[in-house]
Amino acid sequence: MKKRSKFEIMKDILQTVQNNPDIKTTPLLRKSNLSTLRFKQYYEDLLKKELIKETENKGKFVNLTEKGFRFLDKYKTILNFIDEFDL
Amino acid sequence: MGRMVQMGLGAELIYAFIIIISSLMIYFGTKELYELTKYKGIKYFREAFLLFAIAFFFRSFIKSIMILFGLSRPHDFQLLGIVSLFIFLYTITLAMFYLLYSIMWKKWRKSPKIIYLFHILAILIAILSLITGNITIILLVNILLLILILSITYIAHKNPRKKGQSIHLIYVLLSLFLILNVIDILIPNFLQLYQLMIYLLSIGIFLLIFYKVLKKSGSD
Repeated sequence: MKKRSKFEIMKDILQTVQNNPDIKTTPLLRKSNLSTLRFKQYYEDLLKKELIKETENKGKFVNLTEKGFRFLDKYKTILNFIDEFDL
Repeated sequence: MGRMVQMGLGAELIYAFIIIISSLMIYFGTKELYELTKYKGIKYFREAFLLFAIAFFFRSFIKSIMILFGLSRPHDFQLLGIVSLFIFLYTITLAMFYLLYSIMWKKWRKSPKIIYLFHILAILIAILSLITGNITIILLVNILLLILILSITYIAHKNPRKKGQSIHLIYVLLSLFLILNVIDILIPNFLQLYQLMIYLLSIGIFLLIFYKVLKKSGSD
């Protein structure tokens, strides 16, 4: 199986959150196909970049932020841009 | 004001205006892509163009003063001229380094402090070009800078099948014309015959990059 790029993994996690609103972290980890350690790194990175948000209500729920939706919207443009300018 | 002076000033201002506007539009047009990703390559790419805009602002200021007052060297305009020239030389050199870093940062991931080295080098190059009135030294410094940029880009991307070769050629041409812009201001008579050609080709390269950014960034 081809190794996923950083942006691909970010997109996969965000898409999972988009398709499963109010998802908990454990099922999100399972669906991400990452090791716990790698998932934690990506999860914290997405929180830091404000692409996802956590809500506490008898447990921790994860949802996309406005920025998260924009990221998914612009995903192909981002990849094309990086590729075009070899960044 | 003589007709030649008016024409010279007009050409200079139009030239600077086009480069500054296209650079700023590249900077602001890529804002969203950077904010969404915080990607280092995009960060240094857009900051390079912000630096180009600042550099060309100071360049046009120096050139306008030189044309208006009939000065042969920017140094003749005393402290203001020297400070403006220093800012121009520092920002334009740093911009070239930032552009280089934007395509090389993955390979230099293990030494992130290299960016500080670029700042120091840019300051040194600016000071050296400023304090020495020697044409040979100025030319030598700029040719060495161009060779440094070309070698790093060539060594890092010598695989001919790799994508992005055309953009490297554009980056190399951009560096070449920026250096010609530096020489044009430090040694005004050196490239006088080719000035219009340098202006037109520099504008062409900036507009080409601007067009590519506009097309690929999906900005309005």
